Amino acid sequence: MKVLDCIDAGTEYCPCHLAEKGECIMCSQLQGKSFCDCVNWKGVCIYQEYIWNQSHNKESRKTYTCEVLNKEQIAASIYIFKIKVNRTLTRELNQPGAYVFLRSPNDPLYFDMPMSIMKVDKEEETINIVVQERGVKTKSLLEAKNGNDKEVLLRGPFWNGVLGVKYIKGFRKGKALLLVRGIGQAPALLVANKILQGGSSVEVILDRGKAGVDFTKNRFEKMGCHVINKKIIDEENLTVSDWVIQYVRNSITNKGTELIYSGGPEILHYGIGELIKQMGSDVYFTCSNNMKLCCGEGICGSCQTRLIDGKRVKTCKTQFDPIAIYGGR
Amino acid sequence: MAKVIIIGGGWAGCAAAITAKKAGADVTILEKTDLLLGLGNVGGIMRNNGRFTASEEIIALGASELIAITDRVARHKNVNFPGHKHASLYDVIKVEPRVRKKITDMGIEIMLETRAIDVNKTGNKIKGIVLADETVVEGDVFIETTGSTGPMGNCLRYGNGCCMCILRCPSYGPRVSISKRAGVEDILGQRADECYGAFSGACKLAKNSLSSDIVEKLDKDGVVIVAIPQEDINMGKLGHKVCQQYALKEFAENVILLDTGYAKLMTSYYPLDKLRKIPGFEDARYDDPYSGGKGNSVRYLSMAPRNNALKVEGLDNLFCAGEKSGLFVGHTEAIVTGSLAGHNSVCLYLGIPLLELPRTLALGDLIAYANEAIKTPDGLKNRYTFSGGKYFTRMVEKGLYTLDIDEIKLRVKRVGLEGIYEEKLL
Repeated sequence: MKVLDCIDAGTEYCPCHLAEKGECIMCSQLQGKSFCDCVNWKGVCIYQEYIWNQSHNKESRKTYTCEVLNKEQIAASIYIFKIKVNRTLTRELNQPGAYVFLRSPNDPLYFDMPMSIMKVDKEEETINIVVQERGVKTKSLLEAKNGNDKEVLLRGPFWNGVLGVKYIKGFRKGKALLLVRGIGQAPALLVANKILQGGSSVEVILDRGKAGVDFTKNRFEKMGCHVINKKIIDEENLTVSDWVIQYVRNSITNKGTELIYSGGPEILHYGIGELIKQMGSDVYFTCSNNMKLCCGEGICGSCQTRLIDGKRVKTCKTQFDPIAIYGGR
Repeated sequence: MAKVIIIGGGWAGCAAAITAKKAGADVTILEKTDLLLGLGNVGGIMRNNGRFTASEEIIALGASELIAITDRVARHKNVNFPGHKHASLYDVIKVEPRVRKKITDMGIEIMLETRAIDVNKTGNKIKGIVLADETVVEGDVFIETTGSTGPMGNCLRYGNGCCMCILRCPSYGPRVSISKRAGVEDILGQRADECYGAFSGACKLAKNSLSSDIVEKLDKDGVVIVAIPQEDINMGKLGHKVCQQYALKEFAENVILLDTGYAKLMTSYYPLDKLRKIPGFEDARYDDPYSGGKGNSVRYLSMAPRNNALKVEGLDNLFCAGEKSGLFVGHTEAIVTGSLAGHNSVCLYLGIPLLELPRTLALGDLIAYANEAIKTPDGLKNRYTFSGGKYFTRMVEKGLYTLDIDEIKLRVKRVGLEGIYEEKLL
């Protein structure tokens, strides 16, 4: 795929700071060039939006103070947060790839951590997020006491948590295979939900992974997915297990699977990406965005990576075919 | 079988499709909107001044199909208006369905709502055209007829913003310069003040928004001329126009309407409240562009360097035609260049010499002259058309302009090109 899309193009947050500084991901006019070269049109002329906005970026995402309605510990280091948000946010976050930044109210801005949305309840106006205790930021959030544990600071909505999301949104009446492991179970639910809405069937290979807990099997099955519990990663060799490789190969070749979602560690993305490339298959490959998302606005540079062709991309905002990273060099 | 892919289904693309098909190719047109003819859907003026000669030369060369359609759906023939004689005005509403039928009947594939965004190439050879949905259409030879108008960002930077013209970029997506995507830099036209691009030269008013006496006269004569109030005359606007053949004093001092099914208003844009001050225009309303009171589409921002056989320089198998091939104005000019590019696409496939039209024909002279002019700074500020301006003067001086059809046939015969576009090469 040659097309790089910006997940925020055409939204109320577009044009953003990047446009104002001549670094827009989409628009040649806002990359300092003098003429249109609009390969990745999204239905809105970003340059026109920019000029109409007095040649300034639109207002960025807000940070909301949100009530934590419930915090349930489901394994040694795994917690499910139920957070009260507003109606607009529930609507905006109810899609595959949606995430927010969270931090405890008494922590400084740089404690913001990206958290995938597992579930949205539009009636209750709540979201569910699964937090795994890992480093300084998660520990600080989980250790908050004396009333500070009753609230979180939430910045959002953000949407680039899944790469190749347009394949998921556009998938109709086909067969999809989801490979999910550990904490990667959480965002996979919204992925499955979207695929099912398109009239497709969903098979899930589920590995509790280092999270040590399976918290989604029932949810997947309730939605109508077929779930197989199986180890996905061979932890001794740190590779995708032979069984999974064979299963994926067979699904593509003999079972008519047309979309694969990899929701797990980088090893899984590379294993599946290289397999698909090797097979020369045109199956849609999608995966969780595992990059180090820090500001979410394309500014800080921490999420920047290089595609196979050498092009640099800001992965917090850019959508591209994951094969361009994981298809092997 | 030679597979010829034409990018852009305007007049030039349709003309190229027809001659490529007649020469024996398997032809596909990629068109981003739901209509063929592009800006031809709001045009209408044929056979005025030197375009008469050019039309007859096209017919004598063997590509009469499109001229025959515009003649057949003409609402008026032999119309005179300031600076222009013996114009024929086709009905812009009737023309597209007839062209589409003709093209389909000839066995040419049309892919509508199909936007080309990039090329796949090996070395200097194009292998395929990448579409917006990332699928690829492969071919042997490619002809780019994407024009040079818009898209929105260009109309904003070099004009008054998107005015919602017939190209409908917001709905169907913007034009992408295929030659530039293939690595060949675009050439840009300029206005008198050296700003890039130029405004399209006319707008369409809904006929039933005009007074009944204007409509009656339009239906009867094909042309209506009404004086503009002294305080609203704007001579400066003439310099911004694409159509220098209409950049005459009379066009600034008067509102000139032509009957093309709509009332074609021969000015690039005109503020609605000022227009409504003119007697008979009290209820006036624009049908194209919808915001004709504010601006018009901006053109000439994307031409490819090419030779006189219309092959794009620097690429092995890409031709261009229409506005993509030079600072041309008009449908006749698009049909002229399109027909040649289509024929030559098959010559290239076969490895036989490409056809260059001799300069003893108006067609050959225009193609060569425009190519020379585009290489000079002043030439970039001019436009080239059989119907007026600098080129029509040249046509007259060189004796190329004639209304004698037998003489035109003889000229074509003399250079051995009679019916050349009818020849099946493959």
